[in-house]
Amino acid sequence: MTTAVTPAVTSGRDYAAPLVGFGTFVAFLLVIEAVIRIGWLNRFIVPPPSEIIASFSNLFTEEHIVYRFFFTAGECFIAGVLVTIFGIAIGVVMQRYSLLQRACETWVAAFASAPLVLTYPLFMVIFGRNAWTIIMMGFLSALPPVILKTIEGISGTRKVLVNVGRSFKLTPTQQFWKILFPAALPTIFVGIRLGLIFALINVVGTEFLINFGGLGQLINDLAERYDLAGTYAAICFVVLVSVLFFMGLEKAERWLRPVA
Amino acid sequence: MAETGRLSQTAVRSPVVSPVTLLRTAIILAVLAAWELLAHSGWLYRDVVPSLLSIGRAMAALLTDRNYYFNLGVTAAEILTALAIGGSAGLVVGLVLGANRFLSRAFEPYLYYLGPTPKIIFFPVMIMWFGVGPESKVALGTLSCFFPVALNVAAGMRQIDKVLIRVGHSFRANTWQMVQKIYLPAMRHPIINGIRLGFGFALIGTLLAETKLSNKGIGFLIIQTYSIFDMPAMYAMLIVLFVLAIGANSLIGKLGGLDSIKRS
Amino acid sequence: MPPDAVRNDAILVADDIVVQFQTPEGPITAVDNVSFGVKPGEFLSVIGPSGCGKSTLFNVIGGLLNGYDGIVSVAGETISGPHKSIGMVFQEESTFPWRTVTDNVAFPLELIGMSKAKRVERARHFISLVGLDGFENRYPGELSGGMRQRVSLARTLASEPKILLMDEPFAALDEQTRLLLGDKVLQIQQELKQTTLLITHNITEAVQMSDRILVMTYRPGKVKRIVEINLPRPRTSEIVGSEAFGRYVAQIWNDLREEANRGMRDEEKNVLRQEEQAL
Repeated sequence: MTTAVTPAVTSGRDYAAPLVGFGTFVAFLLVIEAVIRIGWLNRFIVPPPSEIIASFSNLFTEEHIVYRFFFTAGECFIAGVLVTIFGIAIGVVMQRYSLLQRACETWVAAFASAPLVLTYPLFMVIFGRNAWTIIMMGFLSALPPVILKTIEGISGTRKVLVNVGRSFKLTPTQQFWKILFPAALPTIFVGIRLGLIFALINVVGTEFLINFGGLGQLINDLAERYDLAGTYAAICFVVLVSVLFFMGLEKAERWLRPVA
Repeated sequence: MAETGRLSQTAVRSPVVSPVTLLRTAIILAVLAAWELLAHSGWLYRDVVPSLLSIGRAMAALLTDRNYYFNLGVTAAEILTALAIGGSAGLVVGLVLGANRFLSRAFEPYLYYLGPTPKIIFFPVMIMWFGVGPESKVALGTLSCFFPVALNVAAGMRQIDKVLIRVGHSFRANTWQMVQKIYLPAMRHPIINGIRLGFGFALIGTLLAETKLSNKGIGFLIIQTYSIFDMPAMYAMLIVLFVLAIGANSLIGKLGGLDSIKRS
Repeated sequence: MPPDAVRNDAILVADDIVVQFQTPEGPITAVDNVSFGVKPGEFLSVIGPSGCGKSTLFNVIGGLLNGYDGIVSVAGETISGPHKSIGMVFQEESTFPWRTVTDNVAFPLELIGMSKAKRVERARHFISLVGLDGFENRYPGELSGGMRQRVSLARTLASEPKILLMDEPFAALDEQTRLLLGDKVLQIQQELKQTTLLITHNITEAVQMSDRILVMTYRPGKVKRIVEINLPRPRTSEIVGSEAFGRYVAQIWNDLREEANRGMRDEEKNVLRQEEQAL
């Protein structure tokens, strides 16, 4: 059957919608700028966007934001490596022993929705006010999605592929490494992507809360120094980094998964 | 005794207690035992792993402390207010974006990419705007829960099976009937999931803000136990918090007709 | 296109229907000057290859598609939007998964404000008619595909439409279920003397059920031929084996084969063109 052809489809690439979105955003900034200059909005509560943009350069020269960025990135990287190793390993073990899976999977799911990051004071006691607390928070909050997606991926292998393996008389270990695990990889990558996002959010958040580290600590510092424009600028920078990171992860996942 | 026929060889008779429950109990007991061993071994310095007894005592003291319930009330009020404001805003925005493809293509990417960013970093701005009282915590909670609700509702609108809409039109249902009898019931899963996620994020946002700057609420109490190094109390509070959070999440799911926490 | 000879006593008339769509490759005509009439109590099938515009025609007559030229009228009244005398049964799964069978079937009665007691009683009648007694309180998720289509059918019948309009309702079912459900529909139609317009691509189904069959060409869809089916009524699926049946099927396949071939060649060209564009 021919696919549904809707009447009056505009031909060619349609950029109207994204332009409207971006245009609205720019218009919003202009309105804020105007409203502050007129005096309707207090510039000591909301600095004018022009000032915020101006203090961006400050971030690079005086606040060493590049160094801080790499510090935060390093924490995320370590958290990411840890969660990949432990998350997949735990997921594989849990899937292998169905009794264990049935017993513990709902526990892991419960922890996925629990406020793990609120245990940061506890980790501050254990590790001190340093990078390991931050890495731990990133690691722990990223763990549940990786475990759950690993289990889901391996369990979800299409029965027919399993039967192909059995028809070739593969041992359980061969079956796992040659069929189940490769088939599960796309889903596992989704889990790792989710985990990395949680890791970044919690790493930056913890840095802010315990006033140590890279980007998160910078925001806290600038806020405590009452550098308004700087605080806003630093927040924008972190949001930008986070958005780019998220986009990058999406591209990576699509590249690793060429078949839709 | 009648002879059981050869036809149906049933497997092992089901045990009185299911193996899953047995394993869970075993795991819990093992963890508790290891904990107690660690507590008494003196390996980790000072009180990092307090004995189960001291945690138990701290929990008892906590649950009978009126001050604790006062703070619990403060936090609960903040979270529910945040969920009400952020949730309704998210619902409305989600419905609009889900219904209109143009608006969705124009604005939804912003929500989608701004969603997974750390919201706690906005707290200094919230303090500037709303002061140091509970309003700033509610504001942060609202900001945290708005995005997941809006995105879930928008996605839910689009995932409604199109044929169901056509059925409604073919029976000439009016707009109100379409919304009440078709759109909303068809979206019940995404809406409930959105509320669950929203609740979780509102909870985390509000509590983290309380740990940062507050003089009331559970977050404040937790950071207090840190500053006076009352570890048993900290553990007790964290345990109670987790039980409440997981319980609330499960409750919302059950109320919404979903079977388990697993379905996210 | 010369008007159908029975138009004067027809209850449903389609007059010179033309439907055009804009695509990135330019305008295409899905339906080209299609005219026909359906008599009260008649079972008319519209058959054609994929891409002949029959589903478009279904949407036009059902009032769900407004961008067309020509007139569709029910008992002399021109339609504008879904007409209250036309009941539609869709090809896809269309039961409401959150409602029981009874609540599904009672849906159109709920919309017109019928009281709960009356609705349930009326729904029970139609549930029984489609042979789903005992399943009143089940949810669609608990039923098989064929049973769900029967629920959809009962739901539409519950609104007691003068004209039943169905778009390949059995397409997703296996052949045997299809034949048996076809029996059920025939039986109901004969009992209720329901005027029915069935859109299908299945020749056996069309010959089994219809008084007349309208054969359509491939895109742009025109009426190629109208065939009178003079098989005795009441009919059941047993008739599928008879000689007369075979002759009708052969005759219609003769007409359709040419159109179906054109359709296939067109699709192959499309795939090749898409590949070229992608490179």
